[in-house]
Parts: sequence; C-alpha cells; structure tokens
Amino acid sequence: MSRMRRVTLLLTGVSVAVLVFSGWGFSAEKYPAKPIQLIVPYAPGGSSDVLARTVEKAWTKYSPQPMIVVNKAGAGGVLGTEYVVRSKPDGHTLLFAYGSGCDLVMPHLQQKMPYDPLKDVVPVARISIHSVVVSVSGKSQFNTMKDVIAWGAKGNKITSAVSTAAGAVDIVMRAIAKRTGVPITTVPFSGGAEAATALAGGHLVIGGGHPSEVLPHLKSGRFRPVGVALDRRDGSLPNVPTLKEQGIDVATWGSVKGVAVPKGTPPEVVEYLSATLKKVCEDGEFKKTMATIGQPVDYLDQKDFAAFMLKASKDYADLIKELGIKL
Amino acid sequence: MDIFSGLLDGFAIALTATNLLFCLLGAIIGTAIGVLPGLGPAATIALLLPITYVIGTPVTAIIMMAGIFYGAMYGGSTTSILLNLPGEAASVVTCIDGYQMAKKGRAGAALGIAAIGSFVAGTLAVVGLTMFAPPLAEFALDFGPPEYFALTTLGLLLAVTLSGGSIIKGLIILLFGLILAMVGLDPISGKIRFTFGSIGLQGGFDFVTLAMGVFGLGEILYNLESTMKTEIVTTKLGKVFPTLGDWADSRWAICRGSVIGFFVGIIPGGGAVISSLASYAIEKKYSQHPEEFGQGAIQGVAGPESANNAASSSSFIPLLTLGIPGNAAIAMIFAALMIQGITPGPFLVAEHPDVFWGVIASMYVGNVMLLVLNLPLVGLWVQMLRVPYGILAPVIVLFTTIGVYSTQNQVFDIYAMLFFAAVGYLMRKLDFDPAPLPLAFVLGPLVERSLRQSLLLSGGDPAIFVSRPISGILMVIFVLLIVGQTIFFLRRKWKRRCCVPVPPETEKSL
Repeated sequence: MSRMRRVTLLLTGVSVAVLVFSGWGFSAEKYPAKPIQLIVPYAPGGSSDVLARTVEKAWTKYSPQPMIVVNKAGAGGVLGTEYVVRSKPDGHTLLFAYGSGCDLVMPHLQQKMPYDPLKDVVPVARISIHSVVVSVSGKSQFNTMKDVIAWGAKGNKITSAVSTAAGAVDIVMRAIAKRTGVPITTVPFSGGAEAATALAGGHLVIGGGHPSEVLPHLKSGRFRPVGVALDRRDGSLPNVPTLKEQGIDVATWGSVKGVAVPKGTPPEVVEYLSATLKKVCEDGEFKKTMATIGQPVDYLDQKDFAAFMLKASKDYADLIKELGIKL
Repeated sequence: MDIFSGLLDGFAIALTATNLLFCLLGAIIGTAIGVLPGLGPAATIALLLPITYVIGTPVTAIIMMAGIFYGAMYGGSTTSILLNLPGEAASVVTCIDGYQMAKKGRAGAALGIAAIGSFVAGTLAVVGLTMFAPPLAEFALDFGPPEYFALTTLGLLLAVTLSGGSIIKGLIILLFGLILAMVGLDPISGKIRFTFGSIGLQGGFDFVTLAMGVFGLGEILYNLESTMKTEIVTTKLGKVFPTLGDWADSRWAICRGSVIGFFVGIIPGGGAVISSLASYAIEKKYSQHPEEFGQGAIQGVAGPESANNAASSSSFIPLLTLGIPGNAAIAMIFAALMIQGITPGPFLVAEHPDVFWGVIASMYVGNVMLLVLNLPLVGLWVQMLRVPYGILAPVIVLFTTIGVYSTQNQVFDIYAMLFFAAVGYLMRKLDFDPAPLPLAFVLGPLVERSLRQSLLLSGGDPAIFVSRPISGILMVIFVLLIVGQTIFFLRRKWKRRCCVPVPPETEKSL
C-alpha cells in the first residue's frame, strides 16, 4: 500500500505543479496573429463585463482575429490590471475598463499599488464614460436633487445607498454634502446591484449608480433620476439634468471605460487597435446595443485618451484631497 | 396577463425542436459541471456566452443557460455522495450524510433520493415561479439591512447546531469561519484588513476555494495517511430507487427543503448555498433521531438537495420581475439578456412574453430531462468509484485545481485552496466537525455589513432591529431558540447530576 501512496502523492504533486506553473506561450508573427485576450478585471455580469462582451461581439466584423473576454476579478480591479501589466507587450493581451476606480481613484487614497496605473500601461482608446446618476425611490416625494437638499437642510436625515466605500458613487455623495453643507450619511453595499435593490425597497432616501445599473429601475418607475454628476448631460439619459444645472457644483468622471495595453507595446499595434475600436464604436448595431444597455459611446483615440486620463486622474486627486477621504 | 394562456404560449416556444435541443444541451452541460468539483455554473455560462450570440433567438440562449444553472444543482450531489467532495458549492452539506450512506453501500439510494428530491423541489419551485412571481418579488424588496441582520444571525445560531461534535468545538469553528470571512475589504469603511500585505487577499477568500480545500483536498490528504483499502472501490451501487422506508423518511424533508429553498432563493444574496445549509440544520433539528445525522441519515441528503434546486429556480423571480440578479450565475444570465437587448424587470412579461414564458416553460421540461439524465444513467457516474484511489485522487486534485482557478482566473486561489486543504486536514486530525465552517463563512460578511448598515441608518440606535415587523419577528424567534436551548441544556445537566448517569456517547452527541 505504501507504493500506492507514493504514486498518489507523486501524481498529486505533479498535477498541481503543472497547473500552477503553466503559462501562456506567445509567438511573434504578423499582428494580430492569434485571438486577442480582453482582460476584464471585474466579475462577470457587471457593467464593465457587459460592455466588454458588447465590444467583443462587434469586433469580429473588423478584425481577422476574434477577441476573448477573460474575467480576472479581485482586489477591486488591481489583480486583473496587474496581470496585464506583467503580460508580454505584443497586443494580444488587452486591459479592459481602463479608467475605472482602481486606475483613477485608488492611487489617491494612499493605497500601495503594485504598478503605476498612468505609467505602466499605454492607453489605446476610450469607449464609454459611466457617469453617476443620483436617484430616489419611485415612491419618493422628490423630483430633483435640489428638493432633496432643501429637505435635508430642514434637519431631516439624508441616507444614501452607495455601491462601495470610497467608490465613484460614494465620492459623488460626499462631494454633494461638502459643497452644499447638508450632511449625507452614505451606507456602502457590496456592489451596485445590492445598493439599487435597497433603494428600490425604499430603505434609504437617495442612491446612485451608473446608467446601465439604474436603467431597468428607471424604466419600471421604481427609481426616479434626480441628477447626473457629470460636467454635461449623459448621452444615455439626455432628459436628466446635471447637478450643475441645479446649482449644485458637483461633477466627476464617474467610471471611465477604456482599453489599454502593457507599456512597451509597438506603436503600430496601438494604432491598429485604436483604429479598429473606432470602427466598432461607429458600428450601427454596436450603438444600438449600447443604447439598450444604457451606456453612452464616448470614443477617444490613443492620443486624446492619454491626455484625458492625466486630466481625469488630477481631477479625482483634487476632489479626494478636498473631501479628505482617507482609508 | 392570464397565467395559463401565457404558460401555454411558453410551452409552444419551449417545445420547438431547437429549444428542446438547447434545453437538453444545457441540462447535460449543467450535470457535467455539477459533477466536476469546482467548475461552477457562473464560470461555465461566462465561457459559453459568446456562443449564445449566434444560436438564434435570445430565448433559446436563456433556456440553455438556465438549464446549465439548475442542471448543476442535480450533478453536484453525485460527487458529494460518491467522493465526499462538493461537486458544486451548494452541495457541501450533502457530503456529510451522502458519503456516509455510500460507505454503507447505500450510494444508490442516496443518489436516487437526491435526484427525486431535486426533481420534486425543482418542479414545485417552477410552479411557484409561474403562479406567484410578481407579489413575491415585492416581498423580497421589503428586506432591508435590519431584516438581513435578523435573518443571518438566526442562520449563525443554526450553524452551531450543525456541528456533530461538542458545542464548544462548533463555536470554535464558527468563529474561525467568521474570522476568515473578515479578511479583505472592510465593507463599510473600505479599509483593507487582515491581508498581511497580500494583494491576493484584498478581495477576501473565495467560497469555492474554501469548500474545495477543506472538504475535498483535506479529505484526500487525510486518506493518504491511512493505509487505504479504499473501501469506496468495493462499494456497490445498490438499488437506485429508494425503498418505501427511505421514501417515508425523506418525503417531508423534501417538502421542507423545497419550501426553504424557494423562499431563500427569492431573497437577493440568499441562493442555493445558504438554502441547503439551512435545510440541513432544520432537518437535524426536526429529526426524531438527530444522532443519525453524520452517520448516513437520508434526510440529510434529501432536504439540502431539494432546497438547492428550489432555490436555483426561485432565484429567477427577482431577475425576471425586478431585474435584480441575486447570485453570480444569475448575474451572467442578466448580462446575457442585456447584451441581447432585453432589459429584465417588471416590463419583461409585457415586452417580451416569449422570453418570460418560454424560459419558465422550458424549466418544466428541463427538470424532466434531468431526472432521466440523473436517475437511470446514474450508474455511469458510479463507474468513477471503480477507479483505484491512487489514480482517482490525483484526477480529483486536477479537476478541483482547474475548477478553483476557473472561478476567478487567479493562480492565487490555487494557493489559497492548498492552505484550506491543510486546515481541513488538521480539523479532521483534531476531530473538529467542519460543517459549520461554510455557513459561518457565507453569513459572516452579511451579518457584519447588515449590522453596520442598520446602525448607520438608525444613527446608532439598536431599536431598529425590533421596531420593524419582519426583523422584529425574526428577533423574537432568535431569542426563543436561545432560551429553549438553554433550558434544554440545563435540564439535561441537572438530570445527569442528580438522577441517572448518562452514557458518554449521549454527551458527545449534544
């Protein structure tokens, strides 16, 4: 029997070793030589994932090689991003949802980052901006954010459902409280869907989320939008006024959704990707799907997107400093 | 909209050749990934999503994905019973008594009752889904943070009673599970805690990783130590169809499991895992012979397996009626619908009756297919047992490793699983019952978050837990259970001290 045990131990060890240490093999041929991995650093089913899969669907029309969406969730996006940063810079491993919280917000909260989100990746193209839509329950008495603030100024307690602590929605709520001087108690949930459910149940006064998260609730009348926290109206909800229009001086970039590649990727590859993504963004079917899922198309090419990321990161840094958010 | 005409239209859609084919395909894939440890429905649906763009109408795609989801609940029990390894996260508790039954040569009865229970519960839940979807969804919305807190604390109390050994050891495991659940992000402040600088730990441990490590690899490590005559190899399948006695023992467990699963599945964040754990605890509580639990009680298989199936069907209710995905697999189906241009929510019935009724009708059909796949063909799966342990064990390790990796595509999870394997091994060595661990781990974050959310809402006033009707009632049940247990405990102690000496086995089963 001890022989059997040795065999078992050996095979067990080998099978683990093979799986732990196996990597992806790459070969150098004319680009794109093989399917392109699109790494989504968030869980399947979320708004970034839905967007990635919408891009993937249209991509095949314009490129000889397909895209494969791979979800590598964990540590708020850091794990998946780190995976791309450490990948071979040959354009076969792309980072999706570049410009989300882990790239624009986290670095300013004194988190130790294993990479520099502005320097270790090269921006390729911006696809969309997910703004923060402040909403109230459909049964609520309020129609605008101004009403909510006026109600709070009378001494009523404003509670707000936010998707995560120090996330895009939380920052917007804190900014509103700071700029208007009316306190808002933010209650963090584990993700946008749960926060939305709690607001739909009427357990809190206000809440917020990206258009794709709140759209099903807006359609059903369970939510009423009271303001968009962007410097202009959101393309997917053109009838909802911004907070600035209501005299509340709060605008953030929400969560930006772009594509990036590891530093050192050849410029012609970046150019090819950027140009092909432009075709995807102009595709009729793609635009139609984007409208249904509540995500505006906000394309920028590699140069403009790089400049935008620098500005957006600085805007967030200034805002976080002003609000004094520390972890 | 008339339910019956809607359902008839639904059957007209579900019974077309294409949709039948994809329903069967979903059921087969679902059973297979259910049998394979670690590979879960969410990861599988994610992998198959690109195919769904091209297989025709949205309803066909959703029928297949739904089949994978509830099919996995059928398959999961097989691995639990035959290998003491949860094939699916929701089948963790099935290991406890299912494996003991298999060891006693009653694998066939265990597999049979699991399949029959799954079928009964799955069908009952679909009937419930058909009749009561909209009002139940509204009820689920009434669950705010205080209600969650009351419900989950009640769950923790049940977790201790899950333990087969002493209450003290059960409490130790419970606290260990809660501590493990605290690793990662603080749910309210967003601070990172207990990670010791590891980035991989920032998101906390994954449930599948923990379950596979403690229950699967831990068991294999423990077996390596003993000179295994591999008693499972000699196990005969026995009769698949349960005897009349088995049926009498388990029919109420199946009914209770169906009801528990149905309601837990509706609550967002509830789902199949919690429902199966809750059902096991309740079966043990209600049983005339609680000492049989852990030794191969058929109710311990019938109840949880029914519950997880009912929950997987009823978790479609918040998705289809409110547009709220309650768990990872449903979130994938939610994403698939959105990409196909269909927004799940209250208008789904009116705007896309083909999708709503077609999918529901297909679930009736799918459950029948799964019963056929799992009952007469179960001998196929049992062939796994005839493989010598020296080959079987590495194969299991291989599949659990792939499975764990596939949940998040992170190598870190494989290391974490190895750590939990060591934990599981030590627990067996030191005679700790690992059963309360998964429940504490699942409920821990919910308890903490809902407690702190409630106190944020009330401004620190604990009265919020008793002043709201639902949480108030749950709190009363909680207190009654504790008082009842204490009186029971004291009376026994008092009896033992002054009257009859109690044999040591009874003391152990407390």
